[in-house]
Amino acid sequence: MNARPAAPGPWAALQCEAGFALRERAVWAWWLVALALSALAVAAGLAEVKQQRATIARLVQADDADRIQALQSQKDWGSAAYHVFHLTYDPPSAFAFAALGQRDHAAWKHRVRLLALEGQIHERDAGNPVLALVGRFDFAFLAAFVLPLVLIALLHDLRAAERAAGRHDLLEATAGDAAALWRLRALLRACGVLAAALLPLAVAGTLAGAGAATVLAACGLLAAYLVFWTAVCAALAAWRQAAPVILATLLALWIVLAVVVPAAARLAIDRAIPLPSGADIVMTQREAVNDAWDLPKAATMSAFVERHPQWAADAAVERPFEWKWYYAFQQVGDQKTEPLSAAYRAGRLQRDRLAGRVALVAPPALLQRAFQALAGTDLRASLAYEDRVRAFHAALREFHYPRLFRGESFDPAAAQATLPRFVPAGDRQPGM
Amino acid sequence: MRPVLVVAAGEWRWWLRSRLALAGALLVVGLLLAATWVTALGMQAERAERLHHQVEAEAAFRAQPDRHPHRMVHYGHYVFRTPAPLAALDPGLDPVTGQSIFLEGHRQNTAMFAATAASADLGRADTLSPALVYQWFGPLLMILLGHGLFAREREAATLGALMAQGVPGTVLVAGKALALLSAAVLLLLPLALGTMLAVAQGERPAAAGALVATYGLYLACWGALSLLVSALLRRRAAVLAALVTLWVVLALVLPAVAVSAAARIAPMPGKIETDLVMLAELRRLGDGHNANDPAFARLREDLLARHGVQRAEDLPVNLRGVVAQFAESRLTVTLNRHADAQRAAEARQAAVLARAGWFTPLVAVAEASRAIAGTDLAHHHRFLQQAEALRYGFVQGLNRVHAEQLAYADDIRRSSDSAAERRTRVDAANWQLLARFRFEPDVPVARIGRAVPPWLMLVAWLATLAAAAVWAGRRLAP
Repeated sequence: MNARPAAPGPWAALQCEAGFALRERAVWAWWLVALALSALAVAAGLAEVKQQRATIARLVQADDADRIQALQSQKDWGSAAYHVFHLTYDPPSAFAFAALGQRDHAAWKHRVRLLALEGQIHERDAGNPVLALVGRFDFAFLAAFVLPLVLIALLHDLRAAERAAGRHDLLEATAGDAAALWRLRALLRACGVLAAALLPLAVAGTLAGAGAATVLAACGLLAAYLVFWTAVCAALAAWRQAAPVILATLLALWIVLAVVVPAAARLAIDRAIPLPSGADIVMTQREAVNDAWDLPKAATMSAFVERHPQWAADAAVERPFEWKWYYAFQQVGDQKTEPLSAAYRAGRLQRDRLAGRVALVAPPALLQRAFQALAGTDLRASLAYEDRVRAFHAALREFHYPRLFRGESFDPAAAQATLPRFVPAGDRQPGM
Repeated sequence: MRPVLVVAAGEWRWWLRSRLALAGALLVVGLLLAATWVTALGMQAERAERLHHQVEAEAAFRAQPDRHPHRMVHYGHYVFRTPAPLAALDPGLDPVTGQSIFLEGHRQNTAMFAATAASADLGRADTLSPALVYQWFGPLLMILLGHGLFAREREAATLGALMAQGVPGTVLVAGKALALLSAAVLLLLPLALGTMLAVAQGERPAAAGALVATYGLYLACWGALSLLVSALLRRRAAVLAALVTLWVVLALVLPAVAVSAAARIAPMPGKIETDLVMLAELRRLGDGHNANDPAFARLREDLLARHGVQRAEDLPVNLRGVVAQFAESRLTVTLNRHADAQRAAEARQAAVLARAGWFTPLVAVAEASRAIAGTDLAHHHRFLQQAEALRYGFVQGLNRVHAEQLAYADDIRRSSDSAAERRTRVDAANWQLLARFRFEPDVPVARIGRAVPPWLMLVAWLATLAAAAVWAGRRLAP
């Protein structure tokens, strides 16, 4: 066996252990696996983000063309607003490739028009459910689920293998500080995994134009996460048991932290924070909008004027059908759904807040949530997008009301030039 | 046969004394029972709630007062996809697809409100169903039980002794395989129990049996893999490490990689993108709200000529209703063509993913399981198609009422003349034309038929691994 210097200094010990690690083919194999998987995850993420950007670019063009077409045949603002849709979208952030998060299953594109928003905003153009069910291979998935398993494979028999080979006690006796020796070995192997995983991430982050702060934060998060798992592995590796027992125990721990705790917590949270059912939101909205046809028009208009006092003077409706009345009851429909819709939003936020707290005891969930937050692909980002759609719809209303209430004349070319345009979240489209 | 049984019994004795095997079994069975309990209750609540909403929506439609039929076309209707009984074991696509669709004239809306969008997000593995426990952790238990089959005998030097007594390697393999198989059968008991509950709720026994068989096949694959690696490698620690690595690759990494690959290989346009292409086409078809639209001029001429009158007011039918019927039918042809293309693209992408079953049995078993449980893409697509059929049915029914029960002269003046508007309101009894909607899973034969390709993959896996295990058993060395 290898002869070891008695009680080496820390630097000499590091050199010596690094030498051992570098000579072990199994260690190299695991490092290469980590590197290859990280490169694959990052490449898959980048490809997906590129595809999403291309989709958005195509949609913006097609939507423009469609609006020009739709406006051409219209004679007044009311029917133009009925027929003209507006594209809204949430472009992926520069770091989205690392954690696709909610973008896998939530809609990041909507087309809306001036009708009641509650009837439109829940429509979802969300991609193939079969793919969403499994989820794509992205860096966050690799980091949260696979890398701990790589560490477990590398570290579980740190001492058991030496014990099985009959070297364990000799090593402890010859090392000056036995605990430091094992710590050093574990850290060296883990550092290799960390470096292998981070290299592709850093390269891709730079290529994609993600800010240095974001990439550094991601590196720090991953380092902390792997330190946690290294500590767990090293602690269990010290257990006087055969390697299979240690491996199985670590695996069980992984299952508990990565799957059981998150699943149980999700159930508990969903139970603790009930949401209004989606069906109630859309049906309430539908009933409100529909009832308006039979209600006295003054009832609708007074409910409308409460929110828009500036149109009180123009609120009289004389004919059985007028566009301003039609859009007023669309707005009133949204107003009636507001409490439910607000409760739905607040409930989702509350669930997310609790999930953030529970994640503190389930590191894999914590890491995924942290990566999604960095990438702008978490629930907050998807709610922020929803808020921007709502704000845009409100702007659309503010634009149309003066034209509808004053009965301004309609000109397709002028409308095309002046209609509000959706502005996606800022500084999110670096050159890809 | 007797030596085989003796070997199998020996293995069971060893497992029962091994704390590792017992603890592992306890953990997996505990997870299974918990997941079955929770998922069954959850899906039952979902089923009850959606059924309730469905009944409510139908009652609301039929209870509308007298009004213009076209108002009912836009009043619209909601349909809900109620989960099948076996969804309590494998919810499949249910949580990631919308559960309800708003049906109205001139449009095909998307399915809204997917459970995942509203749920707390605790990472990718935060939903445990019995199906997922079997798919992910069933293999781990097989590995835990199977990794020592030969390796432990080698380490204890009992393998040499056994072989010296003249027990052939193939008998050893058969005995160990039998032990592992019996463990797999025991592991299937919670699933069998779950399917019995589903049968009690109206599921057909054939489908229930097929689901159990699917997971049996899957566990057998992992058992054969454990047996093979245990026979090939010398040390127990090395066997376990190799098997766990295989599990990480086959159960965690490959399915996600396959998803990314499918998205690249068979990209599909989204609904909005398809809609934009379609809208351009639709503009050429004309607006069904406007009977004077040039696209309908021919229809008008034909109708006037057929009835030998000069003016639309003199027709025995309401021109507007006839135009609405005509426009809706032409529109729907286009809508359906694009919706079919969209579904085909989705199915193509899913098929590319399903082909990954040749590379990992997890993808194959998940595919078969969803198909049999009635929670696969085909069922979701059928839900969309049935919803569309219902939509077309009631919209055209209302358009017929529009054409036959109210006068054109009143109809064209209803926006400006209150008295005419009142005369255009038709009797509420007409709203009974709305058909009842209850989503039911396919008949078992159809579901099982869709499970056949993934079954073939599993059988190929099992056959290959079993053959390799027999081969390894023949050249077994102590």
